Amino acid sequence: MKDTLTIPDYAIILLYLVGTVWIGVAIGRRIKTGTDYFLGGRRLPWWAIGMSLVATDIGGTDIIGVGGAAYTHGMAVANFEWIGCVPAMIVAAFVFVPFFYRTGIYTVPEFMERRYNVGVRTALAVCWLIFMACNLGIMLLASGKMMSALFGWDVTMCVLVTAALVGFYTLTGGLAAVVYTDAIQCAVMIGGCLLVTGLGLWEIGGIDGLRAQMPDPEQTQLILPADSDSPFPWPSILFGLALILSPAYWIGNQAIVQRSLGAENEFAAKASYVWGAVLKNLIPLIIAVPGLIAVAKFPDLADGDQAYPMLVSTLLPVGLRGLFVAAFIAALMSSIDSYLNSAATILAMDIYKRFIRQEATDEHLLAVGRVTTAGLLVFAIGFALTADPESGLYSMFQTLMSFFQGPALAILLCGVLWRRATGIAALIGFLSGVTFAIFLYTVSQESVLAWLGWQPLFQVSDPFLYYSVWAFTLTVSLVVIISLLTKQEPAEKTRYVFGQFKREPNEVPA
Amino acid sequence: MTTTPLHQIGNMIREALLLIPLSMVRVMFLALLASVLLWVLNLPRSETTAPDSEGRSGANLKVGASIALGMQLLIYLLL
Repeated sequence: MKDTLTIPDYAIILLYLVGTVWIGVAIGRRIKTGTDYFLGGRRLPWWAIGMSLVATDIGGTDIIGVGGAAYTHGMAVANFEWIGCVPAMIVAAFVFVPFFYRTGIYTVPEFMERRYNVGVRTALAVCWLIFMACNLGIMLLASGKMMSALFGWDVTMCVLVTAALVGFYTLTGGLAAVVYTDAIQCAVMIGGCLLVTGLGLWEIGGIDGLRAQMPDPEQTQLILPADSDSPFPWPSILFGLALILSPAYWIGNQAIVQRSLGAENEFAAKASYVWGAVLKNLIPLIIAVPGLIAVAKFPDLADGDQAYPMLVSTLLPVGLRGLFVAAFIAALMSSIDSYLNSAATILAMDIYKRFIRQEATDEHLLAVGRVTTAGLLVFAIGFALTADPESGLYSMFQTLMSFFQGPALAILLCGVLWRRATGIAALIGFLSGVTFAIFLYTVSQESVLAWLGWQPLFQVSDPFLYYSVWAFTLTVSLVVIISLLTKQEPAEKTRYVFGQFKREPNEVPA
Repeated sequence: MTTTPLHQIGNMIREALLLIPLSMVRVMFLALLASVLLWVLNLPRSETTAPDSEGRSGANLKVGASIALGMQLLIYLLL
C-alpha cells in the first residue's frame, strides 16, 4: 500500500490530524482543576462517551489484526466484539456504572479502598499502572511497525510523531479532549472501514457471494466446537470471554470506566454505555467481515495481516485511501490517549494523592496530572524504542491484562454482592489469583513444558481466556473461605455493597 | 510426558464439554442474551429514564438496550 497514497490522500490525513489536535487544544483552554482534567469536569455528554468507549476498545492494530484473524480463523473472532461486549455493557450500564457514579470515585482502585482496604487499592492500582504504562509502549511500537509496513514510513518516526500528537492534546485537554477526539475518531474509523466493507461486498456479490466463496463453512460460523483447531472454541468464548474477561473489562477497566464517571449526570453515564453497546454491533462488520472478503478475493495470502491492506489498495480509489489511513490512525490514537489519561489518573489519585500528599488541592492535582501524563509518555516512548518484539517479555506484556482481570472482577463482585467479604480475603484472593494466572501462563510455554516433561495444560494455541477463568474461580473460592474465617468489615465498608449505599447529607464526592 | 492432577481435571472438563452438542451450545448463547434482554425489559422505569423525561419515550434506555441485545439475538440465531 506504500506506493498507492497520493496528494489528495495525504491532504485528508493532514486535515484529520490538524482537526484532532485543534479540538484538543481548544478544550485544554477550559481545563482549570484536577476534576476538569481527570473527569472532564463531570460535564461530558453521553453520545461522546459512548463513541469514546468504542474507539478506545478498537486500536489501530485491531483493525489489521482482527481482519487478519478473520482471514485465518473465520468469523468466530467477531465474538470478541459481540457476545464479548454487548451483554456486559448493558449490565454495566444499569448496575455498575450508576453505582460507581453515585459513590463519586475517580478510579476503580479507589472504590476498592472504600469497600476493602488500602492494600487492595494499592495492589490493583500497581497492576493497572504496570499494565497501562507498558501497554502504551506496546501500542506505540505495534502501531509504528504497522504504519511502517503499510505505508513505508520509518518506525521510530511513526512512534515519535504519534506520541507527540496524542501527548499534546491529552496533556493539555485531559479526559474531555480524549473523549471528544475519540468521538471524532470513532466516526472516522467507522466511516473509513465501512467503505472497505461496502465496496468489498459489492464486488464479490453481496452476502450470498461471500458465503458461496468461503472454502470452509466453519469460517462463517460464530460458535465453534470445543475441540476446534481455532483459538476460539465455544467454551473459551462463553466462559472465558462472555462471563469473565468481558465484564472485567467493561466494569473494572479504569480506561473504560473513567469516561463514564465524567458524564454530566447519572442518566448520561448509563446512556453512554447503552449507546456504546448499540455501536458495538457494527464493529465486526467493519473489521472482521473485510477479512472474509479478502478470503474470497485473495485466497492465497501467506500472512492474514495483509488481508486488510490488500483490500484497501485494490478497492479504494485515490482520496478514499487517505480516509482509511485516517481511520487507522484514528483507531490507534483513540486507544493510546485513553490509556495515557487513565494511567496518569491512577498515578495521581491512587499513588500521589493517597500516599504522598493527601491534602493536595484540585489545582495542584491538575499540575500533577499533566506532569504524570508527560512522564508516562516519555516512559512509553522509551519502552517502544527499546523493547524487543521477539522477546518473551514483550509477549508476556501483551497477555498481562488476562493475568489480573479475572481476579480483579472476582473481588469486585464479591465486594458489591456479599456483605461478608473482607479486605484481607480480597487481598489474598487477588494476589493468589494473579499468581495462579502467571503460573498457568508459565507452564503453557513450550520451553517450560519441555523442561518439566509435561503435556500442555490447554489444547488451544493461545489459552489466555482460560487463564482468566481459572484465576477468577480460585480468587472467588479464596475470598469466600478466608472471609468466613475473618472478622466482618465495619459498616463504613459494607455500605458499598449493592443496595446499601446512600450518600451522607454532608458527604462531598472525592 | 507427565500428567498432573491439573491435567486430569482439565481432561475431565474437556471431555464433558465435548458431549454437549453444538445446537445446545447455541441455545446457551441465545439464553444468555435473552436473559439479559428480559432483565432489561423488567427494570423499573426509574432506572431507565432521566428524572426530567416525563412523557418522552425516546429517553427510555430500554429502547437502546433492546436494540443492542435484539441485534445480538438475531446475529447468534443466524451465524
